[in-house]
Parts: sequence; structure tokens; C-alpha cells
Amino acid sequence: MHERLSFYVQRSSAIHDLNPLTKVILTLALILIAFTSPWYWTPHLLVLIAIIPLSFLGRVAPEFFKTAIRLILPAAGFLFLMQAFFQPVGESVIFKFYFLDVTQESLMFAFRSSMRVFVMVSAFTFMLLTTHPSELMSDLTRRGLPGQFAYVIISTLQILPQMQAKAQTIISAQRSRGLDTESSFLKRAGSVVPLVGPLVFGSLAEVEERAIAIEARGFTSKKIKTSLHEIADSNSDKIIRWVLTILVIISIALKIWLS
Amino acid sequence: MAFVNLQNVTYKYPLTKTPVLQNINLQINEGEFVAVVGPNGAGKSTLCYALAGFVPHFFKGEISGSIEVAGAESSKSTLDEWVLNVGLAFQNPFNQISGAKYTVFEEIAFGLENSGVPRDEIRPRVEDAMKLTDISNLADRSPYSLSGGQQQRVALTSILVMQPRLLVLDEPTSQMDPIGTREVFGVVRRMAEGGMTVVMVEHKMEWIANFADRVIALKDGQILLEGKPNEVLTSDLLAENGFGLSRYTSTAREAKKRGLWKKSNLPVTLDEAVEGFS
Repeated sequence: MHERLSFYVQRSSAIHDLNPLTKVILTLALILIAFTSPWYWTPHLLVLIAIIPLSFLGRVAPEFFKTAIRLILPAAGFLFLMQAFFQPVGESVIFKFYFLDVTQESLMFAFRSSMRVFVMVSAFTFMLLTTHPSELMSDLTRRGLPGQFAYVIISTLQILPQMQAKAQTIISAQRSRGLDTESSFLKRAGSVVPLVGPLVFGSLAEVEERAIAIEARGFTSKKIKTSLHEIADSNSDKIIRWVLTILVIISIALKIWLS
Repeated sequence: MAFVNLQNVTYKYPLTKTPVLQNINLQINEGEFVAVVGPNGAGKSTLCYALAGFVPHFFKGEISGSIEVAGAESSKSTLDEWVLNVGLAFQNPFNQISGAKYTVFEEIAFGLENSGVPRDEIRPRVEDAMKLTDISNLADRSPYSLSGGQQQRVALTSILVMQPRLLVLDEPTSQMDPIGTREVFGVVRRMAEGGMTVVMVEHKMEWIANFADRVIALKDGQILLEGKPNEVLTSDLLAENGFGLSRYTSTAREAKKRGLWKKSNLPVTLDEAVEGFS
């Protein structure tokens, strides 16, 4: 039923073999460069020469394009329209829409900022598609991230589908007692109350038991945690991370220097 | 000196008025398999939490008396040290899934990772534990996709793999079918024979009679009766105090009133009933 709990797609590719931290740094580097680079076309170029080729290299291109077209493009498109209409910059009006002016400058501005957002979301998507969440967390824990923090991230990812399933059970239970979930909007809005109560309070009650369960398995043990899976961290990983860091520094330095 | 030693333990949760455990005195030897029975609200789960260190370390509240396991005293220890010696599995299997792992195999390894067991040791230990409870075929499934009974086996295995010296089980078979129940009792029996001390809260009287060394009957936070399974589980005191008897005991009690049960002691299991009636 709930076998698929994350974005992660299991394939064997050069990207999948990279250390999780390298992929996090890659994602952050793409975002930082897209936002800081002084050159106008950087975000656009990053999509074409980095993110799209990387999705092919990671053999997740079909999933990547599906998410990009269904989710990221509409969001970026909406942002583009808002910025184009409401950004009060520029003189050269291209057309008027009642009292709103669309200028060449506002179009350029909108194009870049929506592209930056596109880079940000698609870089994250790419990382989530190629990185197993528990590998990422155990690697970060090994590098000093507090275990509690990693636990919160992973368990949230896992528990959301559980909450969904539970909400469905509660809906069925309340409907079998005559709760109206199919008539007018107002009535349905009212029927949310008997659903939220059991869901929220039930989940809170579960927290205590889950705390006991993980405590019983040494969760707060002061010993240094080990990991079942060995997570590769090769020399090329280290080199990639250094190169990316240097590129980000150059981008930020150029931004400061040129402004 | 007994392996588990409770002296005059009285305990009250922060929000309750009356003590949930009252003057509990209990000694258990190493490798003994002790079953705890009692009606709802008798303090069975609280007794489990007390043995496993969660009372008082996790729940707070007021405690008096002393709880010793393997020579260490609970009040002088911390919970994270205590759980290395004492394993606890409880009733609701869904809430025992850590939520941090994507497969059953990883789920069972969770406790070993936390306690810093080296990687080369984790894999064989998890594999052995899964063989013991017969869930090797579930290794790559998501723990959330399992049935209640399967999840209970995973919860039990997750504790067994840590090789605690005292194993505390609070209704570990509540969602299992009869075959699963028998297997779990069998595993627990084998663990006890291997030297692990076991305290198990359970309602299934026939199984207790077949497998446990000793039974403790708890009522209103006090020990009402303790002794050999077939003595305690057939006692009139239990029937008068609202304990659920095994169907064989109840039948034979009725039969005895009508003069149809000739033997002096009542049966707990099917075999004893068959022998007595024939």
C-alpha cells in the first residue's frame, strides 16, 4: 500500500553513486549561483547546461520532466505573470492592461526571477529524485548533524502518508455514522470538525508511545551511532564539492565587486 | 540475589490520585519466564514500564521502593543506559515502528545503530533475529505495509536483536492469529532457556500454562497471587476477582459444580481438559 514514501527513484547511475552531501552541495550551489550571478542569463543557462543534462545523467529524466511540467512550470509561470504586471519598473511600455503597465524592463525582470525560482525548485527536485532520504540523513548524522534533527525530517516524510490513510479511515468511520460529506460546501466545511479532532488528538497520543518505542531502542544513547549502510564518499566527491564551493564564492564575489 | 528485585515499589503517575502500583515485592531469577495477568487497570503496563525504566524516568510521577535489574538500581541509572539491559515491546505495533526507516531490515537494525554496534556485526545479528521470529521474507518490505500481526513480530524482533538481559513484553501477541501466538511463545521460551529473563503480560491463559514458569496475578496495583501457572490460573481467587479464565478452566468449573469434573485440580489447557473429562 504505502511502499513509495518519497520522491526517490531507485536507479543505478553516476549521480546515484555520488555521496548525498555532494548532491546537497550541488543543489545549494546551483541555487546560490542562480541568485547571485550578475550575468542576466545565468539561471536560464543553468537549466540548459546543468539541470537538464544532469537529470539525463541520473537517469531520472522522465520523472524530472513530469514534475517540472506539472508542478514547477505552472508555479514559475504564475510568478512570471505577477512580476510582469505588478513590477513598477521601466519606461518602455509594451502594452497596457487597464491601469497595469507591462514594460520591457518588468518583463525582463519577471523572466529572470521566475527562472531563478525554477532553478531552485528543479534543483531540489533533482536532488530528491536521486538521493535516498535515509542515506542522506545517516550521512549528515555521521558528519555531526544531531540525530534528533535527522529523525524529525525522515519521520515526517514517512508519517504524512500515514496521516492521510488515517484521515481516510476516520472519514469512512464518521460517514458510516451519518456524517454528510457530499452535499453543499457549507455543510461539508462543517463536517471537517469531527475529522480533525480524532486525527490531531489521536496523533498527539501516538507521539508518546512512539517516543517510548524509539527510546527503548537506544535512540538517546550517548554512544556514537553506527550505520547499517556504508555510504560512499570518494575522492571525486570531495573534488566536486570543492569545485562547486569555489564556483559559488566566485559568483558571490563578482556580485559584490560589480555592484 | 535475584536477577530482578522489586522492593516495596509504590508508584503514582503525575496526574492520578491513587497509586497505580502498591507495595510490589517481586523477585525473578535469571532465565525465568514470568507471565503477568490481570484485569484492565490492574497496573500491568505500569509494571512493565517500571521494569523497563520508563517509570519513573520517562513518566516522572512519585515512586518509592527500589527496582533492581542485574545488580543495577533503576533510580541511580539513566534511561539510555537502562534500555541496553532491559528491552521493552508493547501492545500497539503501529506506534512501535520508528518511522525513521524504509524497510523492515533497516527498522530492526535501528536499535543496533543507535547503540553503536559496528557495521559488520549489525547485518548478521539482524538476519539471525529475523530467522528466529520467522520474518526473513519481510526484509525488504516497508514496515508500514505490514499487517498488525506482522508489525508485532517486527516490533518484537527489533527488541530481541538488541539481546537485552531482561525482556519485557506487554501483550506482544494481541493482534496475532493462533499460529503466530504459538510461534511467539515458542521463541520467548527458547530465549528464556538461553538465559534471557522474560516478563510478559498476556491474556491468553492456555499459552501461559504451556510456556511460562510462573504467573503473577495483578489486581488494583497489588500482587493478588503468584505461583506455578496451573495453580494460579485455576484458583478460585482469580475467578472471584474478575480475571478472565481460560475456556477450559471455566468449563471445568461449571462441570465441577454439577459433579461432572472428578479431579481435584482444574485444567487450563486443552490437553488437561481432555484428560480430565475422559
